[in-house]
Amino acid sequence: MTYVLNLTINGAAQAIALDDPRVTLLDLLRERLHLTGAKKGCDRGQCGACTVLVDGRRINSCLTLAVSLDGVEITTIEGLAEGETLHPVQQAFIEHDGFQCGFCTPGQIMSAVGLIGEGQAGTDPERIREGMSGNICRCGAYHGIVEAVLDAQATFQDGVKRKTA
Amino acid sequence: MYANEYLTGEAELAEYVRPRSLEEALAIAGRGAKPLAGCTDLFPATDRPALGGALLDLTGVEGLSGITRTDRGWRIGAVTRWAEVAGAALPPAFDGLRAAAREVGAIQIQNAGTVGGNLCNASPAADGVPPLLTLDARVELASAAGRREMALAEFVTGPRRTALAEGEILTAVIVPEPAGRGAFLKLGARSSLVISIVMAAGRIDVAGGRVAEAAFSVGACSPVAVRLPALEAALAGLPVAEAADRVEAGLVVPALSALSDLRAEAGYRAEASVVLIRRLVAGLTGGAA
Repeated sequence: MTYVLNLTINGAAQAIALDDPRVTLLDLLRERLHLTGAKKGCDRGQCGACTVLVDGRRINSCLTLAVSLDGVEITTIEGLAEGETLHPVQQAFIEHDGFQCGFCTPGQIMSAVGLIGEGQAGTDPERIREGMSGNICRCGAYHGIVEAVLDAQATFQDGVKRKTA
Repeated sequence: MYANEYLTGEAELAEYVRPRSLEEALAIAGRGAKPLAGCTDLFPATDRPALGGALLDLTGVEGLSGITRTDRGWRIGAVTRWAEVAGAALPPAFDGLRAAAREVGAIQIQNAGTVGGNLCNASPAADGVPPLLTLDARVELASAAGRREMALAEFVTGPRRTALAEGEILTAVIVPEPAGRGAFLKLGARSSLVISIVMAAGRIDVAGGRVAEAAFSVGACSPVAVRLPALEAALAGLPVAEAADRVEAGLVVPALSALSDLRAEAGYRAEASVVLIRRLVAGLTGGAA
């Protein structure tokens, strides 16, 4: 039996036919759609390298049954930049050295975008660390990551203020 | 995929079904399909190639998600995600459950994993169980044959074992209107994204400066999380200022039958349990441990 899955991925609506309903979202993104930004680190929900947004919420795509997501909107790291212009979180990661080898970075950035969207983190570095705790960095770039999230969040808040002023 | 013909039993069972109604879900469960929701435990606990047989996805079933107040107390739908529990407006007695919700894996897990999955997978380290035990939670079970209800304490029967019968699914957790304030503490190798070494939940209702009611539970120590009746009886009636000092190993440890495993030895777990319980009591009675 073939299962047809309607997804909006990085803004583009797609109908995807699945022969095997057991495929994870991560395998679908990487193997079928060639969106290799989300990484397969541990493949069991312990490292966060596969983090993507589903309807704006952060999830581990390695633990997600793709077929159950019919009708949702998915954002991956490939969907953040607008042309040559990086997303403010991407820009902040570069400015604050929020990475070393880069393997965990797509997951870190998607998690940070999710965290800022949740609007709960505030300006307390400890709360940022807690909010980012689902993403492991073996290089230990945590200090730069927290700085980048704080900076990106401030950029967003400035933007909101300017718009509403 | 959303076939009504499962109700008549005529359709061949597909490898994956995501029904909209509970009636359909129960008909499909009755034919041996494996229920799933957030999948956060299913994938790590199952060898991918071994994820065989039909899958019953409960995430589309109407009425299985969300927290509502009923005339029998609070009803938490089985497919309610932990992130919803963490952010829900609930009375202070649920503070322990809400704190536990924020410790289930990390936010990526809390956005997917469900309350019902946590209970049905019946891990000895399931973060949801101790706080729900202190709330005297009951579980609502349904099958094509009918519905029944039982205490959560009877539902979890062992590591990865529950009282669910063949073809039965957990539909909701029922919490009778609870009094007092709750709290939860988890001890792990790091502060988040970790499986508990020991966790403890407590709820105390204070009246006239004394402990009117105390409910305490410890998880991740024994095959199944336990309540601590000896401690609860010892605390009842005490002036709040004396409660934390009354916590001693003899009131906690015998109830645990603490286990040794790769995360910790039994002796360490026993000692850590007493410390966590004392901190909970101190916090809930306004003192410092």
